[in-house]
Order: sequence, then structure tokens, then C-alpha cells
Amino acid sequence: MSERAAKITPADADEQDDEHLTDSATPDTAREGDADTESETTPEPVTNGADAVVRALENAGVEYAFGVQGGAIMPVYDALYDSDITHVTMAHEQGAAHAADAYGIVSGEPGICLATSGPGATNLVTGLADADMDSDPMVALTGQVPTEFVGNDAFQETDTTGVTTPVTKANTFATDSDRVGSDVSEAFALASEGRPGPTLVDLPKDVTNGETDREPDTPETPDTYEVQERADPEIVAAAAERIENAERPVMLLGGGVIKGNASEACREFATEHEIPVITTMPGIGAFPEDHELSLEMAGMHGTGYANMAITHCDTLIGIGTRFDDRLTGGIETFAPDAELIHVDIDPAEISKNIHADYPLVGDAATVVEQLSEAVSQSPQATKWRAQCQQWKSDYSMAYDAPEDKPIQPEFVVEALDEATDDDTIVTTGVGQHQMWACQYWTYTEPRTWVSSHGLGTMGYGLPAAIGARLAADDDQDVVCIDGDGSFLMTMQELSVAVRENLDITVAVLNNEYIGMVRQWQDAFFEGRHSASDYGWMPEFDKLAEAFGASGFRIDDYDEVADTIEAAIDYDGPSVIDVHIDPQANVFPMVPSGGDNGQFALTEDQL
Amino acid sequence: MKRGLEGPAPEERPTPEGRRNKQGIRIDPEVEAKREPRRTVISALVKHEPGVLSDVSALFSRRQFNIESLTVGPTKTDERARITVVVEEPDPGIDQIKKQLRKLVPVISVRELEPDAMQRELALIKVDADDPAQVSAVAEMYDATTVDSSPETATFQITGSRQKIEAAIETFSQFGIREIAQTGTTALARGTEETAAPISATESATEQSTQQEYPADDD
Repeated sequence: MSERAAKITPADADEQDDEHLTDSATPDTAREGDADTESETTPEPVTNGADAVVRALENAGVEYAFGVQGGAIMPVYDALYDSDITHVTMAHEQGAAHAADAYGIVSGEPGICLATSGPGATNLVTGLADADMDSDPMVALTGQVPTEFVGNDAFQETDTTGVTTPVTKANTFATDSDRVGSDVSEAFALASEGRPGPTLVDLPKDVTNGETDREPDTPETPDTYEVQERADPEIVAAAAERIENAERPVMLLGGGVIKGNASEACREFATEHEIPVITTMPGIGAFPEDHELSLEMAGMHGTGYANMAITHCDTLIGIGTRFDDRLTGGIETFAPDAELIHVDIDPAEISKNIHADYPLVGDAATVVEQLSEAVSQSPQATKWRAQCQQWKSDYSMAYDAPEDKPIQPEFVVEALDEATDDDTIVTTGVGQHQMWACQYWTYTEPRTWVSSHGLGTMGYGLPAAIGARLAADDDQDVVCIDGDGSFLMTMQELSVAVRENLDITVAVLNNEYIGMVRQWQDAFFEGRHSASDYGWMPEFDKLAEAFGASGFRIDDYDEVADTIEAAIDYDGPSVIDVHIDPQANVFPMVPSGGDNGQFALTEDQL
Repeated sequence: MKRGLEGPAPEERPTPEGRRNKQGIRIDPEVEAKREPRRTVISALVKHEPGVLSDVSALFSRRQFNIESLTVGPTKTDERARITVVVEEPDPGIDQIKKQLRKLVPVISVRELEPDAMQRELALIKVDADDPAQVSAVAEMYDATTVDSSPETATFQITGSRQKIEAAIETFSQFGIREIAQTGTTALARGTEETAAPISATESATEQSTQQEYPADDD
């Protein structure tokens, strides 16, 4: 502070005093004042690099930032002190990254996370990698030691741009106080334009402390970054003809449909031409799962009917999906009779894993509109639709849940779904509970499913619920379906939910195992439970109470409905420790690299 | 209680006839031939800024692309540099390399060069100078320039194709080679053709390598 104060000229000092007067007004008065006298409100002038960084965020419309303080990032936090941006202090930088990631998923705008240099930055890495794999828009700002110390192994120095290059869409090392605001603007634009992803700006302390009055440029991507919105009309015409002549068409909607706001266009296209719809895991919510045409999710733990349909289709319209191995299983047996129409905004995804017969590079919503205009007659697929319906009944997801046995997890997921509205946001960790949350919750809206798909980060659920809560509408519920192993990894973030009084409900499906590993050990490692059997777990309801949250526990079926209702009704963070059947397994299952059509329904089929 | 779900077992289900190969292309398994790697030259025009070279080289190691050489140097404009990469991959790998390179923000344009493109390398070869007459004769044969000579050693500079330099090294080895320093390949397209002209996203997605192995560039 003294460093800054010393640089202020007498004229500036007067302005500084005026600012303090504005600060001391109550927030409500200040806001009313802003609305009434918009033309008179000039933002405080930028005085140093840190001001420019915060101004860039403000100009981009940022409302929330998630982070943890620390030495090298202090100038930026000092500038945030005067900003309208609400900063949420997280317990750990990983939590900040996941919260920002989830904020980005739910709001559609990049989530912002901040961390200091060294350990602060390295703690962000998991969250950056997670956002990178799932193409979630996010901007990370990291403090860095002063430029003159860079390369000298100074205290809390890490080569942050070096470490994060493989897990970010783009990153940059700020070198100039006059440019640093524009660096942040550019990072913001890059995070959201085209295929979204995480970007990072590394901020040496001398650059953020350095004097400048330069306002940041408006968020724009560099001129070398080009995004194609519309697909080649000739290929669109050829693809349309293929769709018209398809006998067994299927639409496969990926996460790109949600990120590209193409859910509505895809729904219209599917219902107009009566084409069955499958989603990938990140595509959950792109198409209502209670619709007759919905076959839900395909892949390793997808439904039997989705996997039958994707295996036997003759025309596959894949939109915003990168054909990940968890979806395709073995490449040799993936949709082997299908001509693939592949819509993606990233040319590098075309024919990366599955050869595209009709490559359509462009924005999902735009290209689906193009296809919609080009397709003049619906495919003759009555027989195929009947076949899909038959598979729906042949491979029903109905499960056995006798009342005298331990609680089955599927039942808990369904009870949570019933107790909440359709627009409820679900976040998860990674493992068995995540798969049950996919399978047994009926998703109907985009941006209500928030999970770690590509990276598979245990511990994602709770910090993601915090980010989702702040991005969601006030009347939307946020439920985190977690596992005991996942919850233990980031449960310190409960302190944040309590401090900020965030209304979220965490349901821990507690089996005292790393359940998915235990399931694989039973199937592929002769039941040798190496390091997967906890055998003991803390009492999560009591832990929740110790944090100041509301704690609940469920051991029997007859407690499920009432306890869930009480936890959802609680106005603040609540945790339900649900003791489920420890032997419960996730089915159907396609073993790694297996044939989707040969999914196992029971362990002995693996 | 029953664990798992009801439904026809795997062996009771219909299975499709078709198959895909490892590159995800639908195939007739009877006639599918394995795709062999081939050597080709990729030229990238990039912004001349810190970190570009490390971004490019990190991309090659991260995605397990095989590279033979990678060179970087200035162009006619200060703000731009040219990176020339010699890779050895099957066609789908070459296509991926081009597409992944184009995704990097500081990369302006990327092209695979035609087989007849001009390719040159430079080598400095330091040999024992016990038999100066013989050494000079070999040097002359390969158009080598003498860069340094001392009573014990002679150092020659040779430029040309990879094949020519390999041949020169082979021949010089009879005198006893002390040290060699070599650049990688740098290359330009012939005639009026632009070496790394920008292309559209659709062209990038649909571009398919079907070029032949580069012939030996004798000069």
C-alpha cells in the first residue's frame, strides 16, 4: 500500500479521497445512484497494472471471482478491494478452479479464478486440466515473482506458463504494465470464443504494481485466431441428402451442443424429423431425457438402448462431440455401419478418432440451422424407431431394491430428482455415484448437469456446487451428488459454503469404498481390493455440523424421502451422509476398449 | 437380490457386420492394408514471440508425433518466424499434426510441402587433416567450403539435401571425424506458390494427405 500511496500526486490524492466517500456509501444507495446518474459515473482511473487487470474483468462483465490470496497476487487483490466484483475466497486453489469452471458451465461466460505464484498456481493445475478436457470457459490469473527474480528460483516461483501450457487453451506471461489489462481482455475473449477452454495470464508483481493509466482494450481474440461459424454448403447439402435417405439415423449430442447454445435447434431438428437422440456425458441436458426420442447416454456406462442404437445405426449425426474412448469403446466396433456426419467448431476434432464422412466445421447452432434448411424430407425410419423403443423395453434400467436390504444408490438419486424441480443443477464427483447420477436422474434442461467428464477429477462436486450456486438463478436448487472418496478430497470447501451461506445440498453416497475401483477389482482383479477399501469413514453429518452446515444421515429406506426434503428445504449448505449398499455396482458396462453392443448387464457378462 | 440389470445377454444380441480400422475409418477387414509412416515436411508461419517454439515442440511430444527435425528462423517480416518440421507419420497422423498446429494461437498458417519443395540442411564437419590432399578432394566432390584449418584438423561446411550430407559424412569418415554439427531441414515451396498459405477451417478438416514419399533431392 505504501508503495502505491507514495506514487500518488496531490491531484490524484484528492480523487482518491472522493473514491473513499463513494466506498463508504451503503451498497444499495451506491447502486441506485449508478442507475440514476449513469452518464455522470465515470469509473475510477487506472493507476497501475493491477487496476488494469481488474478493469479488464469489469469491462467483460465479470460478477464473481474465486481464489486464494498470496504474496505475488496481492496487488491484484488490492485492486479488487475497490471493485464491484464479488470475490469468493476458497479454501484451496483447486476449489477455486473447479468453482470457476462450474460457474462457466452454468452461466456460459468464463469463470474467473485467482491464485498466487508457486503453490497457488500449481494447485490450479488440476482445475485447468479439467476445464481443458471439457472445453469449459475459464480465465485463471496467477501472481508471479517480480520479473527480475524470474528464473532465479525465487521464493514461491514456478514456471507457471510452462507448467500450464499443456492444460490450457492459451496462456501468456505479462511483461508490460501498459499491456497487462489488454492481456487479460484477450485471455477472456480466447476462453469463450470458438471452442471454449481455460486461459491463463501470469502476472509478475512488478507488472501489476507498475504505474500505468492505460485502460485495457476491449476483449478480442488475436488476429491469428479464426473461428469458422458456417459449414461448407456443399458438404451440408451432401449430409442433408444422407439424412433424407437414412434408414437408421441417430443424433449424438455432445457437450458442444450445450456450449454452443444449440440445444433448442437440435431439439427442433430431432423432433421434426423424428430422429432418435443419444447424448454423450457432457451432452447430458442437451435433449430432454423424458422425451420419446431420447435414448439417453451412450458409452461405457450408457444405457443398453443407447448402445444398441449407436452400434446399429446407419447414419450418425455427431454434434459437438470428440468421440472420446469412454463413448466409443473399441474403435473397430464403434458404429461400424454408420456414415458419420460430424459437426464441430474445432477442425482438429474432425476425423481425429472416428473418420467423418461429412465433415461440417462450424458453430453447432448455425450448422444445425443449415442442416435444417437443407433437409427437405424426413428419413423413412418408422421401423428403426420401433426397434429403438423395443430396445428401451428389452434393456430397461429398472433395478432391484428389496426393502430389507441396504439402500440401493439408484433409489437415492431418483428420490433427490423427485424432491427437486426440473431446472435443478446437479454436480458430482467422479466414480460410481457419478454414473448413477447420470443414469437415474432425468435431465431435461441444458446447463443443469455439471461434472468432470474428460479428466475425471474426484473432488470436483463440492467446489463445483459453489460455483454453480453463484451462477444459478436464486430459485434454482443445486444438488451435489458425491461419493465418500470424492467428498473427502475437497470437503474443506464446505467452509466456504457456510461462510457465504450458499444454499446447496450435498448427498454423499457413502459405501466406504473407492467404489468404481472396487467394482473393477471384482471384475478384473479377482476381487483383490488393493487400496480401495476404506473400511472406515468419518461421520459426514457430524463433520458438516462442525463446519456450521446442516448434517443429516440416512441408513434405511424409510428415512430417504423425509431426510432429503429436510435437507433441500434447509436454507444454507446441508450434507446428507447416505449409507448405501457397499456392494452396489454400476451397470450396464462396456469394459475399456470393448464393443458397445456387447455391454454387460451383470458382472458375469464382463 | 439380483445384482445388475435384466435383458438379453451379449451373445443373444445382433451384431453388425462392419468394422473400423485403428484410424476410425470404416473398412472391409479382408482388404484393409496397414498404413505405413512416411517422411514429409511441414512448414508453419508463426508469430515471432517468446514461447512459440516451446509450444510447438511440446505439442509434438504431448501427442506422440515422430519428428526428425525442427528448425526455426526469421522471415522477411520481423514479427513472423518460420518453423520447418520434418515428420514421419502415417497419413492420418500427418493430418492431425497440421490441424493441431493450426490450433495454437500464435500459429498463423501451416502447410505440408509438395514432394518437389526445396529442402536444405547445413553441416559443419571437423575431420583429422593427416592427409590434406585427399581431404580436399572429398571436399571438392561435395562442394564443401573450408571454414577452418589447423595442422591437425580441417572443418568443412556442406549445404544441401539430407541425402547429400549423409553421403558426405559417410565419405569423410575415412579420415576420422572429430565432431559434427548439423542443422535440421529448412524448406520453401517452388515457384510462385506460397510455402505456408492460410486455409479455411473446412479445408483444414477435410485436407487428406495422400502424397508420396519425398524423393531424394539431388543437387
